Amino acid sequence: MGREARGIMEDGARLMERVRARDGAAFERLYDSYHRLVFGVALRMLGDATMAEDLTQSVFMKVWSSPEAFRYGNFGAWIARVARNRALDVLRSRSLRDESEIPADLAEPGQLDDTVFARLDSERVRRALAALPDEQRAPIEMGFFAGITHDEIAKRTGIPLGTIKTRIRTGLRKLRVELDGAVSR
Amino acid sequence: MNGTGEHEAMLDLVAVAALGSLPAGELRIVTLHMATCAECRAEYDLLRPAADAVGLIAEEPIDTLRSARMKKRLLAAIAPAATRRASSPGALIWASSLVAAAAVVFALISTVQDIRLRSDLANAQRSEAQLQTRVAETQQTNVNERAMLADLFAANAKRYPVPDGEVVARGSHVYFALRALPALPKGKVYQAWTLAKGAKTVAPSVTFMPNASGSAIVQLPVNASGLAAVALSVEPEGGSKAPTSKPTFIQPLS
Repeated sequence: MGREARGIMEDGARLMERVRARDGAAFERLYDSYHRLVFGVALRMLGDATMAEDLTQSVFMKVWSSPEAFRYGNFGAWIARVARNRALDVLRSRSLRDESEIPADLAEPGQLDDTVFARLDSERVRRALAALPDEQRAPIEMGFFAGITHDEIAKRTGIPLGTIKTRIRTGLRKLRVELDGAVSR
Repeated sequence: MNGTGEHEAMLDLVAVAALGSLPAGELRIVTLHMATCAECRAEYDLLRPAADAVGLIAEEPIDTLRSARMKKRLLAAIAPAATRRASSPGALIWASSLVAAAAVVFALISTVQDIRLRSDLANAQRSEAQLQTRVAETQQTNVNERAMLADLFAANAKRYPVPDGEVVARGSHVYFALRALPALPKGKVYQAWTLAKGAKTVAPSVTFMPNASGSAIVQLPVNASGLAAVALSVEPEGGSKAPTSKPTFIQPLS
């Protein structure tokens, strides 16, 4: 995300408080600020702009119809995870891929989010990810955006499964430290 | 889980679960393990926010026309929802999509007389109906599983350690999260029991069999807020109306 886009991105958590009160203008501003993010997640996972557009619509409809689903934490990270899970549902339901290659998610997004990261922005995450060695960053990004399991990551990269799992854990731990440092600076 | 090496391997799986890249089968194993392992649960809680943050880098520029079209569709869709909240916006989307699809179908039928095309269309409609049924079933399964997993890992869930696992209660839901249950002889099953507040006798609840490794996550189909205790025993296949064996455990819910 560029400097301009970051400048206009409003605090999603604050806007969501107004959306809960059925404030249509707040919802519109929420959409203006975050639709590129949702579309981006969907496009990366589905590889089709029309499907990504439909999914973006469906995610924001969910935000409007169930605003209580977001409770606290980083709104951008939450809505990106919602978009990811919806994209996984699409991949599953449309049988675009062998079901065994499609991962499952454990918790409803947002329920485990950390309030420390509430104001984390994409530039900080990009920098933190860039600070990881490629061998750790790549499987993390593949795992999140390719909508594939660790087995499939291992197959596609030709790296042993055990190594992939360890690199994901090591990378996420480093990312956590980097992000903790970023938000405390 | 035996041995440091095996536990390290489980911690690696926990990290993959936090990223959301485990297949459903392994996720159930990790879920069951985390229900009784504080270290792995803490690892998950540490890593999940970092994994969620990865999504923030996905923002893509969208061309102005597409962006305007998307916004127009969305605002048109929420306008009626804002004034008629009883109607599900999700249902409205489906309804409008179905109406649009129906219009296309009628237009085709009225203008194209080709019998073969009609036949193809009918086949496609049947396939679509079957697919939609399958989608609905899959989505419902996903919803149920996510709700259960959210309960099991909620910070405000009450956890009661029992032999071979825990009883987890959250809101109106109560679960047995058990592992390493002994295998049962043929014709026997595990059966849950519930004791309502103020009641003097237990009521029969679900019967179940653990998986090959002795693990089971079972939701009891009863409102947890009305319960004083739960119990587990081994019963004949089909279940019993009253316990016929010594309980594996009896757990008060305070």
